[in-house]
Amino acid sequence: MRSKRISNNAKHNKRKNTMPDHLYSLFLTKSKILEYKKAGKRIIGTLCNGVPEEIIHSLGAMPTRLLGLSKTTENADLKLPRWLCAYARRILEDGLRGYLNYLDGVVGITSDDTKMRLYSTYTFYVKNNFSYIIQMSYVRSENSLKFFSMELERFAHKLSNHLLCNFNLDRLKESIKIYNKFRLLCKEVCGLRVIDTPKICGADWMKIMLGSVSTLKEDFNKIVEDELASLKDSEGVKDYKLRVHISGADFYDVELLQLIESLGAIIVSDDLCTATGYFSGFVNEGEEPFEDLAERYLSCSACTFTAHPNVSLIKDRIGFIKKEVERSKADAIIILRDKGCEIYGWQCSSIMEELQDFPVLLLDIDTPISLEQYKTRIEAFIESYGD
Amino acid sequence: MAINMKMQEWNPLGYKVLYKELFKRHLARQEELLKRGRPVGWFFSFHPSELIYVFDLVSAFPEQYSAYCAARGSSTDLIDVSLSMGYGHFLCDYFKTTIGSIVKPEKATPPTMPKPDFIIGSRGLCIAHCEMADVFARFNKVPCYVVNYPYWTRDMIGRHDGFTKVPEKIDETYFEYCVASLEGLIDFLEGITGEKMSEDKFKDVFRVAEDTSKLLLEIIRLMMSKPTPGSQREICDLVFVAFFALGSMYAYDFAREAYNLIRDRVKNGVGVVPNERYRLLTFGIMPWHSLTLYEYCERLGATFPANLYVNESVHLVEADKPFESMVRRTIHFTNADYEMIYDVVEGLKEADLDGAILFENTGCRVTSMIIKPLADILEEELGIPSLIIEAPQCDPRIMSLDRAKMQIEAFLETLK
Repeated sequence: MRSKRISNNAKHNKRKNTMPDHLYSLFLTKSKILEYKKAGKRIIGTLCNGVPEEIIHSLGAMPTRLLGLSKTTENADLKLPRWLCAYARRILEDGLRGYLNYLDGVVGITSDDTKMRLYSTYTFYVKNNFSYIIQMSYVRSENSLKFFSMELERFAHKLSNHLLCNFNLDRLKESIKIYNKFRLLCKEVCGLRVIDTPKICGADWMKIMLGSVSTLKEDFNKIVEDELASLKDSEGVKDYKLRVHISGADFYDVELLQLIESLGAIIVSDDLCTATGYFSGFVNEGEEPFEDLAERYLSCSACTFTAHPNVSLIKDRIGFIKKEVERSKADAIIILRDKGCEIYGWQCSSIMEELQDFPVLLLDIDTPISLEQYKTRIEAFIESYGD
Repeated sequence: MAINMKMQEWNPLGYKVLYKELFKRHLARQEELLKRGRPVGWFFSFHPSELIYVFDLVSAFPEQYSAYCAARGSSTDLIDVSLSMGYGHFLCDYFKTTIGSIVKPEKATPPTMPKPDFIIGSRGLCIAHCEMADVFARFNKVPCYVVNYPYWTRDMIGRHDGFTKVPEKIDETYFEYCVASLEGLIDFLEGITGEKMSEDKFKDVFRVAEDTSKLLLEIIRLMMSKPTPGSQREICDLVFVAFFALGSMYAYDFAREAYNLIRDRVKNGVGVVPNERYRLLTFGIMPWHSLTLYEYCERLGATFPANLYVNESVHLVEADKPFESMVRRTIHFTNADYEMIYDVVEGLKEADLDGAILFENTGCRVTSMIIKPLADILEEELGIPSLIIEAPQCDPRIMSLDRAKMQIEAFLETLK
């Protein structure tokens, strides 16, 4: 056990930084998105991390990763199987309820079976002016890379036609720079989680990341830059029993993370598609931006949809998790597996096998989340492995 | 059972004997090739099966094997093995059954699949096939090759024929990518066998596949005749011929005999039951553990002139366009944006349908997510209602046969 075990109750920052709550409110209210919309910006929803937002951004539109806010999914359940992941059902529910009426278009990608059909279901039931599904390759071969690069270029031209604006390579390069800066800042903030007295807890980190999908990245970058120094100066979390890595896919319920931390753990790293998996991996700032984007988006290690020929799909993901766990000096792992999650359904067995040296708590998540149901198990887990 | 629903005499086409002969010849081929030391490959549906015969490969199909286990009662134990290993409950039944048979072969129905020397993943239907290929390759420590195809959209192919799968066009970028992916597969198989592909054999196999595909297409068209000439109990197994044996002589011989039987039935106006009361569409992977359900419905007078899952397995092969034919195999509404459902439904108009029974295969995203849009389009375009039954293809515990029968009876009552 490498964690600092000082007292029984985790007490987070005394001088609480307001940035996470501010950003989280942007996610919950979509106020910034509506502000952009009012100013004439087109808003394009994306259905997966695999959609290169830089392309949408370079065309003057605002890309926003869709994460449903509906807590229940009674309308979506009439259109989708109930056993499907909450991620898909909540997005469709938001669409059916009209919560996403601010969208001018939706972009999906063929990254997994659920997301592929979610795109079709969403566009079938919730009509948008623009929709496009990016064709993904599943192997990182030279041929696939070339194809994916062409596919991204095709997408850029389709969207530019819809937006009635000319596509411009220099603007794409500029957007790549803004996104790389976003990634750099996220990396820096993330670095504040892994130290002995983490400056930021897991729930706040999630709030920041959720805010990042609800603002233009240049605005997000400014907010973070302005607050970074104060965040670094903060006292940090000293009192915790267990350093925890969170593993999962499209999970973003802050309340459950808050529960875990209220019980004495500190979440020091994660591999969630909605958090660390969202920003990890830089785009090369070269002369062939589509190829650079293709390279980055085909090699997102936090996801698993591609692998090098003859390399197992899971290998990169496990490598990514191990790296994060090592970096954060986590003592234990909590897996948040949405019961209907396809990706984690496949991977969970291998991940648990590879991480057998660590204490692992597997929580099957269903929506609406019943915090009370998880409390006993989390508490027992922290008591068993923490100090 | 409702009072006025009398069970009728059931008169199937007699394909059972033909399937028996087909599998006998398939297994004899396997045995012979195994003796010659030919490599064993595991393949999935919508894979270009012709290449199996071009390269003289021993072929095994996890999906077919899982269906076999489901029909013989071992799939539930095998599924439980996979769950105990930490795999998700809501994953493809074929995966869960196969992984169980790999880890606990003693629980699987013999004969189990021969151990593979390589595995081919194919994204012609679902990404689950690629994921399965990856996991199976890891367990067996063998190489894996993935053939990628797009998720087709109107923009890429225009309209398509729901039977032959011939599209108006195929956007060049995607076609070339598919061809490159298939050429990569041929290179991979050349590496596995250590032999250059025989061009002559390639042509011969595709000629056989063309003839077979035309017969299969005729069979599914003739099924739409009035009265419905055959039972879905026997038509549903056509998927194994179309998915896995297309390109073989025994598939051709089967198709020829099967065609003759159904043609004669139609010519003589004979139906699977004497009094056809309802003509139903069905879709979804068949619940292999409960295939008697089709016979039950038919005996009630509810016949199935169309099974969209079977229809999706069949496509037109043109020997002079082998690569286009291999790509065409993946152009079906279960691998396409939902606009394509309209093309398929258009072709169903001549079937004169009264309703639809749709199977929601728990764990299969591809077939299950499309069910409700399909039901909506059937209502909108053909004015017919649908009954959706939760039916995982290999796990009878989720689908009670008696409950399904009651649901169907109640549904049929509403069709009057």
